[in-house]
Amino acid sequence: MSGYSLDADTAVDRLRSEVGRAWRVFRFILRDNGAKAGVAIIATFGFLGVFGPMIAPYHPIEDTLQQSGSIMRLQSPGGKAAFGTTSFGKDVLSQFLAGARPTLIVGLFGGIGTGVVGFLVGLTSGYFGGRIDEFLMRLTDLTFALPFLPMALVILSFVTPSVWLITAVLVTFLWKMPARVIRSEVMTVKERTFVKSARARGAGHLRTMFLHVAPNVLGIGFLYTAYAVGWSIVAGASLAFLGFGDPTTTSWGRMLQQVFDSGAIRVAWWWVLPPSIGIGAVTTGVFLVGRAFEEIVNPDLQTDKE
Amino acid sequence: MSFRRFLIKRTIIAALLTLIAVSVIFATLRLLPADPFSGLVASGSLTTEELERIRALYGLDQPIYVQYVKYVQNLFSFNFGISLTQQRPVGDIIVPALINTMVLLLPALVVTAIVSSLAGMYAGWNRGSWFEQSSIVVTTVFRATPIFVTGILFLIIFSYGLGWLPAFGMRSPLANPDGYLDTYLSVDFLRHYILPFTATVLFYSGDFLMLARNSVVERKGSEFLMLHRAKGLSDMEQLGRAGRNSLLPLVTYFALRTGMLFQGVITLEVVFAWPGIGRALVQAILNQDYPTVQAAVFIMALAVIIMNLTADIAYARLDPTIEAGDV
Repeated sequence: MSGYSLDADTAVDRLRSEVGRAWRVFRFILRDNGAKAGVAIIATFGFLGVFGPMIAPYHPIEDTLQQSGSIMRLQSPGGKAAFGTTSFGKDVLSQFLAGARPTLIVGLFGGIGTGVVGFLVGLTSGYFGGRIDEFLMRLTDLTFALPFLPMALVILSFVTPSVWLITAVLVTFLWKMPARVIRSEVMTVKERTFVKSARARGAGHLRTMFLHVAPNVLGIGFLYTAYAVGWSIVAGASLAFLGFGDPTTTSWGRMLQQVFDSGAIRVAWWWVLPPSIGIGAVTTGVFLVGRAFEEIVNPDLQTDKE
Repeated sequence: MSFRRFLIKRTIIAALLTLIAVSVIFATLRLLPADPFSGLVASGSLTTEELERIRALYGLDQPIYVQYVKYVQNLFSFNFGISLTQQRPVGDIIVPALINTMVLLLPALVVTAIVSSLAGMYAGWNRGSWFEQSSIVVTTVFRATPIFVTGILFLIIFSYGLGWLPAFGMRSPLANPDGYLDTYLSVDFLRHYILPFTATVLFYSGDFLMLARNSVVERKGSEFLMLHRAKGLSDMEQLGRAGRNSLLPLVTYFALRTGMLFQGVITLEVVFAWPGIGRALVQAILNQDYPTVQAAVFIMALAVIIMNLTADIAYARLDPTIEAGDV
């Protein structure tokens, strides 16, 4: 049976051919103008997430800007603070630059976690069918029924929110989306001849699942991982906006919460615009790339290409 | 499996799901470290004996399983108890909030379902056109951007910047309407309604547009359309036939979305201070008002389960290619 269980060499080999395919798909996606813009936005965002805190001129929380002895509260842009200041005398530009990182972490890990869990559940459910499928699908029904944001708020109201905890909560509620789609794809793939012949040659369930079925649904898996990154950023920002974010970090959602709760939203457009545009641009970028990718992955949309 | 058996099986599953969802809510809320009264003892407003009496009043001194059984019984008879912090029946808090949410969201959902589905079908029919490209990009922007960000941008432009529309609540502080008709049919209400309504319509439009567009694109190469073309139907008449055949995913998606309406859109309600169910729930969570939280979350879960069931049944009933049973 040695040749028919999942060994490291075959896995690496398959992975390499998948990477090659992914690169070709990526080049194809870039022909779409929306996707080009999306990739540019995501790249900028990634750069801010990694280097933002370093290029920020001041510390976003500790440094209070002062001018001739008094704290600069709600200064409009110009002079010492290029993007203006908050009502606590903090530099908006620095908060914006530093705020990209928590947003990026929640989005990236929430999205990848959701994609991986959803992919595995969908694969198992669709491949085995029967009772396992019934159980897992009722579990997705349950997470659909429990309202996401209210349940997340209840949970976060009695534990101190941290970035990782928020990520975990997001994955708990979002995995159902990819799981359902992957499951229905797997159900059609597993009926195809090459899967049956692999089984007939004596390939184990694990090998069949991961080497023969999984590569054929990987595209959809990536598509939903991309969407999940978008959903995670939205959900993370919403939680932060409602005051349930990590209190020790400055995220874009938290900036919006502060400007909204302090009432400065009435005048301080310079404090509102950077985080709003930041969040809106990133999620839009992710979805634009996702759309272009979907045109390739979804075979039903290939009916007549002009 | 006959349709009848399918129906019975689905209904039983839905009932069990409701029970499990309710239990999860109960368990989650009991994990909370304290009830709102313990704080009052710490601050000296209540003595320990008074605390015991109040806890007994609300049934919090009984063993946990007794509380659970009572809780389930009460929920299913729609008897939600008394709010811990507002001293009035939970129903009196939740029902008006739910109505406010529905008044905002239901018309928005219906309008966007009709308009964006038609636009989506047209876009799918004219694939590669300028209209298709721009409608997809515009709706993607509003679908992707969190709804509270759109709301905040609307606020700073139309309320604080231009001063055209009010920013806060559902009516002016001085308005004191009497009865539903007076509350929801006035110029004052309309002025408060426009911004959150528009934000919701824009937010929902993306999904309907893409669904309609994708299913028309899928139908476009199909044989029945070739027949219609051969028959000499005009372009628009063909689109009508293709559109009619693309309705099924739209109808089921509409049903699912309707179920979600009961959850309100929490962040939007907070931004516009709309006195809806989402905002009531956030306040109840912050005040640790269990009975209100339990009841609100229960209603939300129940709505989603019922509408899911409806969508499943509609699908099995309307789509002849699906055998009842493999859904």
